[in-house]
Amino acid sequence: MGASLPPKEANLFKLIVKSYETKQYKKGLKAADAILKKFPDHGETLAMKGLTLNCMDRKSEAYELVRQGLKNDLKSHVCWHVYGLLYRSDREYREAIKCYRNALRIDPDNIEILRDLSLLQAQMRDLTGFVETRQQLLSLKPNHRMNWIGFAVAHHLNSNASKAVEILEAYEGTLEDDYPPDNERCEHGEMLLYKISLLEECGFLERAVEELHKKESKIVDKLDYKEQEVSLLLKLGRLAEGGNLYRELLSMNPDNYRYYEGLQKCVGLYSENAQFPPDEIDRLDALYKSLGQEYKWSSAVKRIPLDFLQGNRFLEAAENYIRPLLTKGVPSLFSDLSPLYDHPGKADILEQLMLDLEHSIKTTSQYPGRAEKEPPSTLLWALFLLAQHYDRRGQYDIALSKIDEAIEHTPTVIDLYSIKSRILKHAGDLAAAAALADEARCMDLADRYINSDCVKRMLQADQVALAEKTAVLFTKDGDQHNNLHDMQCMWYELASGESYFRQGDLGRALKKFLAVEKHYADITEDQFDFHSYCLRKMTLRAYVEMLRFQDRLHSHAYFHKAAAGAIRCYIKLHDSPPKSTAEEDDDMSKLPPSQKKKMRQKLRKAEARAKKEAEEKHEESSAAGASKSGKRHVKPVDPDPHGDKLLQVEDPLLEATKYLKLLQKNSPNSLETQLLSFELNMRKQKILLAFQAVKQLLRLDAEHPDSHRCLIKFFHKARSMAAPVTDTEKLIWSVLEAERPTISQLHEKSLIEGNKIFLEKHKDSLMHRAAVAEMLFVLEPDRKLEAIKLIEESTNNVVPKKGALGPVREWKLKDCIAVHKLLGALLNDNEAQLRWKVRCAEYFPYSTYFEGSRSSAMPNSAYNKTSRNSENGSANHSGGETADSLASNGKLEAFVDLTI
Amino acid sequence: MVCIRKATIDDLLAMQTCNLFCLPENYQMKYYLYHILSWPQLLYVAEDYNGRIVGYVLAKMEEESNECHGHITSLAVLRTHRKLGLATKLMSAAQNAMEQVFGAEYVSLHVRKSNRAAFNLYTETLGYKIHDVEAKYYADGEDAYDMRKQLKGKHGHGHGHGHHDHGHGHGHGHGHGHGHHHEHGGGCCSGVEGKVIGKKEAKAM
Repeated sequence: MGASLPPKEANLFKLIVKSYETKQYKKGLKAADAILKKFPDHGETLAMKGLTLNCMDRKSEAYELVRQGLKNDLKSHVCWHVYGLLYRSDREYREAIKCYRNALRIDPDNIEILRDLSLLQAQMRDLTGFVETRQQLLSLKPNHRMNWIGFAVAHHLNSNASKAVEILEAYEGTLEDDYPPDNERCEHGEMLLYKISLLEECGFLERAVEELHKKESKIVDKLDYKEQEVSLLLKLGRLAEGGNLYRELLSMNPDNYRYYEGLQKCVGLYSENAQFPPDEIDRLDALYKSLGQEYKWSSAVKRIPLDFLQGNRFLEAAENYIRPLLTKGVPSLFSDLSPLYDHPGKADILEQLMLDLEHSIKTTSQYPGRAEKEPPSTLLWALFLLAQHYDRRGQYDIALSKIDEAIEHTPTVIDLYSIKSRILKHAGDLAAAAALADEARCMDLADRYINSDCVKRMLQADQVALAEKTAVLFTKDGDQHNNLHDMQCMWYELASGESYFRQGDLGRALKKFLAVEKHYADITEDQFDFHSYCLRKMTLRAYVEMLRFQDRLHSHAYFHKAAAGAIRCYIKLHDSPPKSTAEEDDDMSKLPPSQKKKMRQKLRKAEARAKKEAEEKHEESSAAGASKSGKRHVKPVDPDPHGDKLLQVEDPLLEATKYLKLLQKNSPNSLETQLLSFELNMRKQKILLAFQAVKQLLRLDAEHPDSHRCLIKFFHKARSMAAPVTDTEKLIWSVLEAERPTISQLHEKSLIEGNKIFLEKHKDSLMHRAAVAEMLFVLEPDRKLEAIKLIEESTNNVVPKKGALGPVREWKLKDCIAVHKLLGALLNDNEAQLRWKVRCAEYFPYSTYFEGSRSSAMPNSAYNKTSRNSENGSANHSGGETADSLASNGKLEAFVDLTI
Repeated sequence: MVCIRKATIDDLLAMQTCNLFCLPENYQMKYYLYHILSWPQLLYVAEDYNGRIVGYVLAKMEEESNECHGHITSLAVLRTHRKLGLATKLMSAAQNAMEQVFGAEYVSLHVRKSNRAAFNLYTETLGYKIHDVEAKYYADGEDAYDMRKQLKGKHGHGHGHGHHDHGHGHGHGHGHGHGHHHEHGGGCCSGVEGKVIGKKEAKAM
């Protein structure tokens, strides 16, 4: 380094490097300038100066200097290394790898560069490259522990776990017998557990158990030791030993459900779907009764039997389970029981049980058959439970009467208001739900949970400004008004994005969706520092799991929602571009095409210039700020707070495609992904890609109304295309010709027949009938009246149920809203729409969308009053649920409720 | 009712959501990653019957100081899931691991002076004592109690089941959440870069 310089300057050069490493950038800069005064063309100095400036937020200068330095000294590995570091700091990893490779061509054994390269290879999952680099590092420095471990991990990641085991054993062979010293016992134990997990992964189960036992004294983490051992024993079929070990683990933590599951496997009483023959139920019952004696404080031993018991035994166990929890007043009791509602018959038993308990407490203040008096709060919690039960069953009027009774009983319990708010949300009165959540919030201003709950309800009711005002009560951070974005508060960003989307504010909606996307990019980035950290820290199992987690990060639900939301925004933007661009196009349309192009170029250049100026200005100001206060500069103001710039994309469909690709890669089995792919590719005239989406939809769920819609629409569109002219068109044509007979729905049938058969199959379902009606209209527009009739003749059946406890009807509110929109937007029949609204207002009296008689949309409703009384005075938003669907099919169910 | 188990990497996003929903002190994902990649034994979650994370404890070892001790970074239980003793169970699990794996002598934590529910849980149910008061510890200017609980020599203690806190799920956490610092070297269980191995000659393959 700095070799070509005379001694004085060579020393100065060393100072630059040292200053860079110790972050004394000003000092480094001074040294660099001193060298450059004498040797203005010295490449490595120019490069180091650039790198130093990069750390002082002077990016454009940095790149200029580093490139100039490199030009002056192409044979210097320092210059290439520096160039690589510069790219790395901007997350341009592919470019950085190229630079490092050039550096290594000049200095192949440079350990620092090899190490930097290996980090990038791990980050980019260039696994073969990673193995090579780690091998080279080990050969150069075999006495470094980290190099052995790194080489082993590299092989493991590159799908060669057995090689990784060999390397770790070779490493162990270099250690003294009394290794490790006290201060390295944890790390060494971790390494051993990692090796054993590798043996397990390779299927060397016997060897793994032997090794585990042999090294027992060197493995510090005894809990992991046991968990690893039991997993191996189970796989080896050594069930008696496994059972004993699970009991041992349960005595340490009787609340870990996985131990119970393991124990059941060991005693041969396990079933994937929790269905058991009667004799096994008896044995399970006996098992849990005995476990219950042992672990008296565990709630798990009492709860698990409710899953497998049936009939009267279920009733008895449920009663024993519920009674003490009501007495104690456990608010999560209903949520704990709710999975049982999917078991046939259990909901009815629970309903009867809850009603019996309520009745008994009301009349005698005792549980049936008990002498002790219950405290008054038991009735409160019984009503609380019943309200949630009826909510779950969709009997909102009973649910509300129960919760109102509870509130009257004890008006000070906050949970009651939260649950009432949730019931109102389900019943379709979003504004009243938000008002109640706000009432709950005001009862304990110090509790962020009820604040968040309220914010969520406000967003559902499209009160975004109010929601932000409320959220901010907890998100001030120093001078910062709101740290929700910095803290990656994704549920909030998604919920507000969805609300903006419903309100047609695409700019703000996109801004929120893209913010979430950015968080995921940041999380991917977060792993970088850990590639070297974990090798030092020896947390190898956690490290490898982290890499695998990162590889599937984008399949996470929040990312899926954000990407789908962004795609919808772009599709909508494409279908109806905002005014400003339309006007601009208008101005330009008067010009001849050649001038139009020039004009556009001019505009683009001006934009680029403005951007560069802004950037330079920012750099200047931040540099000044840094020199003055020596502190980190203040966060720059968001130049596009309303997302207006996001709307000015040239080709919205191209933008949407970026996110679609991520969805296709990470959640290909989601119906929504394929629906979006269909909508997008139809608009892009990508016929074969749209066809792929149709085939995927049929694979995922051929009976889904949306799959049917896409199938019919696709072939209808294909039929209407002009006869093929170009070779590509002919090719597409022939593919479709060949493929159509393979689709059973359309095999030797016309589209009209296919549509009719679909109706026959699903004639009792509202949403299927709506899809058929829509397709009927698409195929034969003159049969519109028939299509409308098809919808209107649907019947909302009463769900058959034991005991007449009020009718439960089949139709869902959100489906009825979708049908209402279909009648308006597509079939364009105001009268039919009105008839539908009147009918649904009967079914959903609390719905503001249908202006039901008991909703806050009506001037005299009870909830309207509460909403006016509440502190934030939520405005009377009607039509909160205006989830506009983009697709002409009217049912691309825009957003499912956000669950936290 | 609720499963208490060690957290995995896949729980971190849900832990972050849980934290953001109920506590005022929040952290970026990298800070959660830092914890699980440093002390995977010290993160526990409470998972309800629907597979939802309704509580967690995020803890660490303090490795710079002479005395090896654990520190509770953040503890939260959703308001809807109180009265189940979850906070106690989560804390006991983390404390046991600190003691067993890292040989921690004591465990420390910070709690807002105004958070009576959490304070009562720590003092009455879990046996913490006030060690110090840190003025203006939180971003909003509130003071924190610096609390400690001795671990060593308390072998054979139970797992806390049977105790039921009535905590509100306010929990606590420290005020400067976004910080992410890697600590190197020293302390009870640490790795030092470039550590030279064994006395025998090691050869590369």
